[in-house]
Amino acid sequence: MIVLIVALLMITNVVTGLGVYYLAVPPRAGETITVIGPWAGAEMAKFLPVLDAFTNQTGIKVSYSIARQEDLKLILPVQFTAHRSPGDVVFMTSSFIKANGPLGNALDLTNVVDKSAYSAGALDPVTGTDGKVYGAVYTGKVKPGFWYRPSFFAAHSLTKPTTWPQFTSLLSDIKNISTVTNPIVSGDGVGWPLSDVTEHFIATYGGASMHRNLTAGSQMWTSAAVRSVFANRLVPLLAAGDFSAPLTWDSTAIQGWWSGQYALYFMGSWITGMTPPVDSSDLDVFSLPPAPGVTGGIVFAADYFFIPKYTTKVDAATQLLRYLASAAGQTVQVKQGGHLATVLNVPANAYPTVDAKVAALLTGKDVLVDLDDTKGDPFQANFWSQLKGLWTSSNPAADLDSILTSIQSQA
Amino acid sequence: MSERLAGIRRSLRLPSFLRRGGGDRRTARLGPRGRKTAARVVFLAPALVLVMFLVVYPVLQTVYLSFVTSQGTPTLGNYQGVLTDPTTVNPTGLPWPPPLGTLIHNALWIAIHLPISLFFGLWLALILRDVKGSSIVKSAIFLGMVTPMIVGGVILRFLFEEGPGVVPAFFETVGVPSLNKSWLVFRETALLGLIFGSVWLWTGFSLIVYSAGLTTIPKDYFEAAKIDGTPPHRMFFRITFPLLRPMTLVIITMTLLWELKIFDIVYSAVGSTGGTRNSADVLSLQMYRYFVAGATNPGYYGLAAVVATLLTLLTLVGTAWLFRKMVKR
Amino acid sequence: MKSKWRKIRMRTIVVHLLAWSVALIWMIPFLGVLNTATRPASEVSFGWWQLNPYHPTLDNFIKALTQPVFSISKGYVNSLIIAVPATLVPIFVAALAGYGFCRFTFPMRDYLFLSIVLLMSVPAQMVAIPVFQIMVNLDLVDNQLSLILVHTAWGLPWIILFMRNFFTALPLEVEEAARVDGASDLKIFFRIVLPMAIPAFASAGILQFMWVWNDFFFALILIYTADKMPATLLVPKLAAGQQLTDWGLLSAGSILVLIVPLALYVLLQKYYIRGMIGWTIKG
Repeated sequence: MIVLIVALLMITNVVTGLGVYYLAVPPRAGETITVIGPWAGAEMAKFLPVLDAFTNQTGIKVSYSIARQEDLKLILPVQFTAHRSPGDVVFMTSSFIKANGPLGNALDLTNVVDKSAYSAGALDPVTGTDGKVYGAVYTGKVKPGFWYRPSFFAAHSLTKPTTWPQFTSLLSDIKNISTVTNPIVSGDGVGWPLSDVTEHFIATYGGASMHRNLTAGSQMWTSAAVRSVFANRLVPLLAAGDFSAPLTWDSTAIQGWWSGQYALYFMGSWITGMTPPVDSSDLDVFSLPPAPGVTGGIVFAADYFFIPKYTTKVDAATQLLRYLASAAGQTVQVKQGGHLATVLNVPANAYPTVDAKVAALLTGKDVLVDLDDTKGDPFQANFWSQLKGLWTSSNPAADLDSILTSIQSQA
Repeated sequence: MSERLAGIRRSLRLPSFLRRGGGDRRTARLGPRGRKTAARVVFLAPALVLVMFLVVYPVLQTVYLSFVTSQGTPTLGNYQGVLTDPTTVNPTGLPWPPPLGTLIHNALWIAIHLPISLFFGLWLALILRDVKGSSIVKSAIFLGMVTPMIVGGVILRFLFEEGPGVVPAFFETVGVPSLNKSWLVFRETALLGLIFGSVWLWTGFSLIVYSAGLTTIPKDYFEAAKIDGTPPHRMFFRITFPLLRPMTLVIITMTLLWELKIFDIVYSAVGSTGGTRNSADVLSLQMYRYFVAGATNPGYYGLAAVVATLLTLLTLVGTAWLFRKMVKR
Repeated sequence: MKSKWRKIRMRTIVVHLLAWSVALIWMIPFLGVLNTATRPASEVSFGWWQLNPYHPTLDNFIKALTQPVFSISKGYVNSLIIAVPATLVPIFVAALAGYGFCRFTFPMRDYLFLSIVLLMSVPAQMVAIPVFQIMVNLDLVDNQLSLILVHTAWGLPWIILFMRNFFTALPLEVEEAARVDGASDLKIFFRIVLPMAIPAFASAGILQFMWVWNDFFFALILIYTADKMPATLLVPKLAAGQQLTDWGLLSAGSILVLIVPLALYVLLQKYYIRGMIGWTIKG
């Protein structure tokens, strides 16, 4: 009996030990470098051709590994303390790169990346407090405004608004259509659709400078100027039922929008790459009408990436970084739709039609970074939670002040 | 003189319960008794080592962390920070609607869930005594206990979502259209949705425990009472319920423990912030957020430790006395 | 006389109806998830009870099992790698300790036992930070071994209580006889007591296995890369998709994760119930 028990214990421990050994072995070295990115599914399918083009050009093999940025936020600091890195080129939030650069965890790219080749301020989010550039910028997605089906508008004789009164009357016209539940559908997901819409309001009516100040933390959410954007523009629409309640089932949101239950859907430019029923030949978009005297901005959510200092293949990783940051690399990505390049000399004809329309919306407006992505957690999760509260409140005007105070508490 | 010396020697002796197996310490050597002791150590050593290393030491370390700053200087600031934070207790929100603070949310959870699941389980156990196929019914109700709670949260999201969810649709058909919405997204209903959902998940526990308990009551008691002409409700209150007291205590304790520790369901159903405006936030979730924030800002570890310590104090108070009973021979 | 029989029959019918309707209502949420998992997600947006259109399909399950990053099949393997050792080791170690607490007398024995049992009520959050630090120092973060160690230690308090109560109920005569014959404690334990303890092992084993399989919090703080994640950790990952939440995928994944403890419960129900009652109620 004792022999049996001891043998069982030994076997278990040997199996465990072997398992741990094989699972804990570090990735094999070779001339393959690893890229870590957050894209999965259809998005990943569009990124891989870029890596293939790089391999064709340089002969360096690239393997792509998926990791979400919220997970990387926890695992990377641990790995960095052990002087290890799970990848050679890592896509991560700009706030993380900016913080880790001066800590010595990211390679200094000041001599690798040329700031002038990008739109103004594109590299600021990854420039450390010591002035050095620690990250590079890839393509991005724009969050231009409200998407609609031209066929729906034509069927109900609606037109794109160019002023605020036209916008509000458009909304009431839509409300009068019997099949419509709410004019604007609110997606939910984890909460970013609501923050995207809110940022659009802030950028348009508070101005690009207000958006930048809030991102930097130099302006308070509870200040009179910020409060008035909410109170005069967003809250009245919420109170009038112009927005639907946040729908977690995005398939419900998209289906409803496409089938006419809702008319407008605030989305980013990735919508052009979405699967059926969305059909990009029946898609158009308009931004919120500008307010006179206010220089508006459009949020351009660029993807940033860096090279951890602890990589063993610095040269190969740097080559890949240069490629992804170059016009050659970014053109391969934007050709497939849904992305806009950050580097300056990508020809306009590289873009599919709808994306060109989106790019056109950028003229005359400042380019802004995504507010909550740049600030990160704990601000971001709280921001989403509070906005959901604003959307679901029975009296948004009354709750506005406590919500703004809560947002400010984590800012 | 010698008497005094003897007295001093006696007072210097170890108290008897600390001395090995009686007898004078001076004569204890590693004789046959000593070898036996050494062999016996083998029984307890592995368990004690593991528990010391991975349970006891961490508990003590967390308590320590709750009393120091990130530099290591002792402070009560962490406790002050957590207890005055509106996330923990939100006096401006009282009495309704949520967010009322994690402490209040956990308390509400206990106040609503415990009585309902206890009595519902008891009632079910009573009526299932005479039902054919009762084991199938019991298994169906018990399924919730077997489910990983993270899946339980997904099921709750499913249950309460406007559109595909049963609960909003039910209220729409019975004529309460104001409740035809995604319960978990609205601050007024998020916590309640979760609590009622957890009743659905956890009632199986009290059902099974009471069912087992009912079988231990000898039939003769009921026979005798019936012969005496005791009405059924009298029988219940005078005989059944008092005899079920040990089960009741166990159910209360384990349910209390479960409700204080609740994490997976809330995380899965409404996310790590505890839902819209933290309206379904609970203590363990709050601790987790501080823990995550600690990776980039070590000061948060102290706050996390405070929440964990408070949580442990509450659970210990609620359960210690029952465990003492379980330990007695 | 007839009316009395009718009353009794009415009562029986009512009670049966009541009980079975309760059971049915209880199952509705599970039925809903099953329904959603076996249909394309777009069909279910407006209520899974809408049966028009109805296209049953196993696609969601296949997608959940073969998902490139968060595949449930990898999750199963990881959960097993963690749960099997984390069940076998603590049962054995706790049996030794439980026997020791039961049959041996030594100073402070009852206080020590009580303190170990009190650890049962400590929430996992209480040990999270130091355990994380320990694993960082041992370089075991993002490694299943860390979870095995944690679950082993974490399971010990309640299994020790369970085993001690079990051993207390065993008659002393057999052991006494062996002791008189001169057998050592270890020999008595392995030769005589262990074989008698098999049912206790089964009960404690299934409870511990299910507890480890269903765990989420410890996995959440110790495992970060997708291909090391146990099944429970994958569920929220399937939930929060990149742009869309695929509810068909989520339902299928949830059912897959749920099915293992469910199957174990159905097969070993007797031991599970006995185990659950056994350490909550004495005797």
